[in-house]
Amino acid sequence: MKKHALITIALLLSAAMSFGAGFQINVQGLRQIAMAGTGAGWIWDASSIFYNPGGLARLKNIQAYGSVQFLIVNTKYVQTPTGAYSEEAKQGIYTPFNLYIGGRLKEDGKLALGLGIYTPFGSGMKWNDNWEGRYLIQNIQLSTIFFQPTISYKLADAVSIGGGFVYATGNLKMRRAIPIQDQYGNDSYGELKGKASGVGFNLGVHVMAGEKVQIGVDYRSQVNMKVKHGDATFVVPSALTTSFPNTDFTTEVPLPQVLAFGIGVRLVKSLTITAQVDWMGWKPYDTLRFDYEQHTPTLQDTRAARNYRNTLAFRPGVHYKVSDKLALMAGSGYDPTPVTDGFVSPDLPDADRYLVTGGATFKATNKLTILAAIEYGMSKKRDAQYLPDNFNGKYQTKALIPSIGVTYDFK
Amino acid sequence: MKKLVFLLGLATLSACKPNIHTEEPFANGLDFSNYVAVGNSLTAGYADNSLYRSGQVNSYPAILAKQFSIFKPIDFKQPLLPSEAGFPSPKLVLANTTDCAGNSSLSPVPYSGPSDSTGNALNISAQGPFNNFGIPGIRAVDYLVPGYALFNPYAARIFSNPLAKPVDELKNQNPTFFTLWLGSNDVLGYATSGGEGNPLNSFSPDNISDANLFKAGYDSVLKVLTRNGAKGAIMNIPNVTSIPFFTTIPAKGLVLDTTQAAQLNVAYAGTGITFKAGANNFIIQDILEPLGFRQIKNDELIILTTPQDSMKCAGWGSVKPIPQRYVLSRSEIGKIQSATDDFNNFIHSEAIAYHLPLVDMNAYLRTLVTGIKFNGVDFNTQYISGGAFSLDGVHLTPRGYALAANEILREINAYYMSTIPPVDVNKYSGIHFPK
Repeated sequence: MKKHALITIALLLSAAMSFGAGFQINVQGLRQIAMAGTGAGWIWDASSIFYNPGGLARLKNIQAYGSVQFLIVNTKYVQTPTGAYSEEAKQGIYTPFNLYIGGRLKEDGKLALGLGIYTPFGSGMKWNDNWEGRYLIQNIQLSTIFFQPTISYKLADAVSIGGGFVYATGNLKMRRAIPIQDQYGNDSYGELKGKASGVGFNLGVHVMAGEKVQIGVDYRSQVNMKVKHGDATFVVPSALTTSFPNTDFTTEVPLPQVLAFGIGVRLVKSLTITAQVDWMGWKPYDTLRFDYEQHTPTLQDTRAARNYRNTLAFRPGVHYKVSDKLALMAGSGYDPTPVTDGFVSPDLPDADRYLVTGGATFKATNKLTILAAIEYGMSKKRDAQYLPDNFNGKYQTKALIPSIGVTYDFK
Repeated sequence: MKKLVFLLGLATLSACKPNIHTEEPFANGLDFSNYVAVGNSLTAGYADNSLYRSGQVNSYPAILAKQFSIFKPIDFKQPLLPSEAGFPSPKLVLANTTDCAGNSSLSPVPYSGPSDSTGNALNISAQGPFNNFGIPGIRAVDYLVPGYALFNPYAARIFSNPLAKPVDELKNQNPTFFTLWLGSNDVLGYATSGGEGNPLNSFSPDNISDANLFKAGYDSVLKVLTRNGAKGAIMNIPNVTSIPFFTTIPAKGLVLDTTQAAQLNVAYAGTGITFKAGANNFIIQDILEPLGFRQIKNDELIILTTPQDSMKCAGWGSVKPIPQRYVLSRSEIGKIQSATDDFNNFIHSEAIAYHLPLVDMNAYLRTLVTGIKFNGVDFNTQYISGGAFSLDGVHLTPRGYALAANEILREINAYYMSTIPPVDVNKYSGIHFPK
């Protein structure tokens, strides 16, 4: 019953908007969001299942953790060089979420178990159906949900390790116009829809270097999201339906591997600073392919160059404990984009981003804590081109992400 | 307090709105208030083998005028026809048809809807002068012909004096800016009539125009357009032999099975012509050959209007030679190319003499042959699927005209150091498919 409820919630919430570099959604824990996404080094709560499963064995008791983010994203396109045309993507509110349950089975034991359900990647972009870039993309949505059963073990007082198996499920949906017009001048279009799935793992090591310093390393593997029997639907003038048969398609989107190195230092009793370096292996995303089961002279497999590059992001954060009940957090970050010059496509017009973050936690009772965080992100204005389709323009994205969550300790 | 909350809320919202600016379009002093476009069918917006209202509305001069209006609204007057059917003959549309062999396919057929031609032929010069002075069929050499409007139904609609020379009619206009795309018809008529020419009348449009008359006619137009110091741009002549009208039916298009090849080998025994299973070169008429026919060479061209039923069912190209009025031979192609080069060299020298930017449409067409991608859409010179050429294989679709407009704008911007924005080609129509 409980499991059933979890899945229902998972289906209700959509996690289909990127606001980390690329199609990463870097919002898997509220304290960590509030500290600019630092979470591999210092272990705060059950969201360590994502940030560093090696730290789960630090949780003295089982904790249940739930949070939801409200991702409000605005993207604008302006034709270059003279801006005679501009278009704003339809604003959407997206809701990535995180559910974790886990901790040490016995307070003085060494073994911890846990389960995480979270939404680390996704992207979504809804342009007006008649906009200038409609033959590249009208709308696209990639959503993922990761299920991660996790085990963590305290090897020694200072060192704990952990790992989790990842099963990822998701959906891919996209639509774009086809430059074939009916007798009234309406465009044709093609729509691709499919369920995706993939597997991976998450491994972490956590070290308590004394009372005041914590260090963590986390490695999350690449997850290849495969669509095996997607539905391709084409709406074309009836004279051409045999040229565009509705058919199955397959594709694969590689979600990048991540190596995170984090450190936290408690400067004084109430003040902790954290820092993290994330290396992200975006490079395998060099081509977006769609392979159709049925082919005609007009319907051939497509290969769209993506040419992503690996990125390295650095983030600092700070945590200030005001009282036993209240704590405040802040952070800022700079996320370099994996999207290379010449390959900035309107399905994900990514650019280097700046972000500032803040948040608060309130310990309502001994067992219950309420968490809130907010992130404001802004991309650089990017003079961008997608060379394979000769589509040029300037893009900017701004996003506001308020989040709310709760933790409950079973003790 | 409430106000503060409201202001804070507003600040948050606006912080969430991207704000990007780009440079403002810059005309650099160009005055488009009376923009006049001079030319032939391409300028008029002719498409699908006829002139009709929506083609005119989307002519490249109208597209340019819209861009020029970004700086200051201009009234760009075109001699619009009242209807869509086509004037004087119906336009071509795509329809499902069944050929003589019983195979059905999508093919261009004359528009069969109501011709709605009321008023089409009326002289509307009282509404003029028109900013679009594109006259389908007109050649550079025609500009000095008195009474030209008596022979051309399009000129007859808009000339205030039917007996005037076109160049004099042009004097009714006093442009502040102009474009001139003239000269294609001085070679095109010869090409589309299969290079037969008209030996009885040296001034016939079926002949390539005399070079000296061409130069005189062309220069007379430029003199009038620039007489009050107007700036402008001139376009040269695209090499017509690379347009779909000439490249759609392949020379090596006679596909035979083993039996058919054997039968033809018997029929042609002793002629030196042999056939094999698969693709063969068509048999064409050639009166210079001792037999009066031969196999077409790979680089020779068959025109789009060669009767398809005759080729499919009456043995044209196999048991009967394709009449030579449907074929451009190597020497005919050579004449077209050298005339095009000759005329283009002159246009180039005129651009220099009059200090005008030259839009190299000939080079642009070569780019289009290899393919152009615009905002995700492929354009090339393939018939129908290429998107740029209309169903007549000679004139452009509105998208094709928009591509031409962008090429003209690019050259204007480069020469006059302006930044007139390019147009979104895909805003215009391509080929329309039934249902």
